[in-house]
Amino acid sequence: MKALLISDKEYQCKTYQNLKSLIEEILNTKGLGIELIEVGTDNLTFCRGCFGCWIKKPGECVINDKMAQINRSVMTSDIVIYLNPIVFGQFSANIKNAIDRSLPNMLPFFEIRPDGSTMHPPRYDTYPKSIIIGYGDGLSDEDKQLFIDITKKHRRNIEVLICHETTETIIEAFNEMELGRVDNLL
Amino acid sequence: MKNIVLISASPKINEQSVSKKFLDMAANRLDANAFNKTFIDVRKSIPNHQCEAFETLSKADVIIISFPLYFFCLPGILTQFLQDYYHYYTEHKVVSNKVKVFAIVNCGFPEPEINLEAVRVIKSFSQHINAEFCFGVLIGAGPMMFAAKDAPFMKKPIQKLQDAFSAIAENIKHEQVTRTDNIYISLNFLYYRCIFLFFGDRGWVTMARKNGLKKIELYRKPYC
Repeated sequence: MKALLISDKEYQCKTYQNLKSLIEEILNTKGLGIELIEVGTDNLTFCRGCFGCWIKKPGECVINDKMAQINRSVMTSDIVIYLNPIVFGQFSANIKNAIDRSLPNMLPFFEIRPDGSTMHPPRYDTYPKSIIIGYGDGLSDEDKQLFIDITKKHRRNIEVLICHETTETIIEAFNEMELGRVDNLL
Repeated sequence: MKNIVLISASPKINEQSVSKKFLDMAANRLDANAFNKTFIDVRKSIPNHQCEAFETLSKADVIIISFPLYFFCLPGILTQFLQDYYHYYTEHKVVSNKVKVFAIVNCGFPEPEINLEAVRVIKSFSQHINAEFCFGVLIGAGPMMFAAKDAPFMKKPIQKLQDAFSAIAENIKHEQVTRTDNIYISLNFLYYRCIFLFFGDRGWVTMARKNGLKKIELYRKPYC
């Protein structure tokens, strides 16, 4: 099995270095191969909202930069872990650009989910297990909760962890997760 | 005279965005004789005019930010802009009177409630720059508000929009924050939701056909 780590090259503080080492150690122990992609303003631009990935080149971003490699790596991995600096309670800009530009991995149409909300349907039958780990120094409780809500309130099949936990808690969280590809409940 | 800075944060550059249209509606509710109104287009401010935009922002008494919802929160381009402004704010030790902040968030999905976390992010940003977050206007089916604006069933939502922007204008007039609860606006989807989704789906196919694609090609799986 292969795990893809996506990190923000502009927020590589000590907390990040410790977190990255811990995650690599956990994944190594579980026998997973690791690919690391660091995103920054020099290799990844923002989503232009052009919908070219739906109506011009379905399934692929039309902007020519690192994202083509990222989307291919995401869709061919078993697990994707975003190591994300929490900024104003949400993703940092570089990580958000990578998330926004994963839009080609979904279809343009609308579907109604069991809870009554609307969503774009999945493009693929299975997806890698997604884990989002937020980190930062001096985070308020409000920002931590917001970071969890942004993902957990709207997406299924995604785990969110915040790196204020102890090493043991993070190891335990990984031990409790089923690592591997998941069905397409978005 | 109060300085009102109106920020439009759609990443689209070659067409007028829905976010900008909402911002214009809000701006029209503000008396030109009573306020200085300055517009910032985040897309155009990157990369060469960001300092100019930050200087304007640092002198604001009121900030109104209008943007589309991307993956249930802010688009990356706006996240970058606010992140960079926060660095500017701390580096330049910006000191200002209590600044009021408002958010106008629109999404393509019918449910305005899904904009809530994005509004909370703007609230968090406001706290980081020592500003006072007032409230957000959360709009579902944003593009449809203009695409079908003359249809009879749009009368109520358009009126609600006007009322929401009047509430922003009213709040700005007073020193104290007079309202803190968010305003949710969408169509009455009890009757129109299926029609909305049907025409939405058909719209994608029509646009793809203009690019020479057949419907089946929209389902391509390039990374299988």
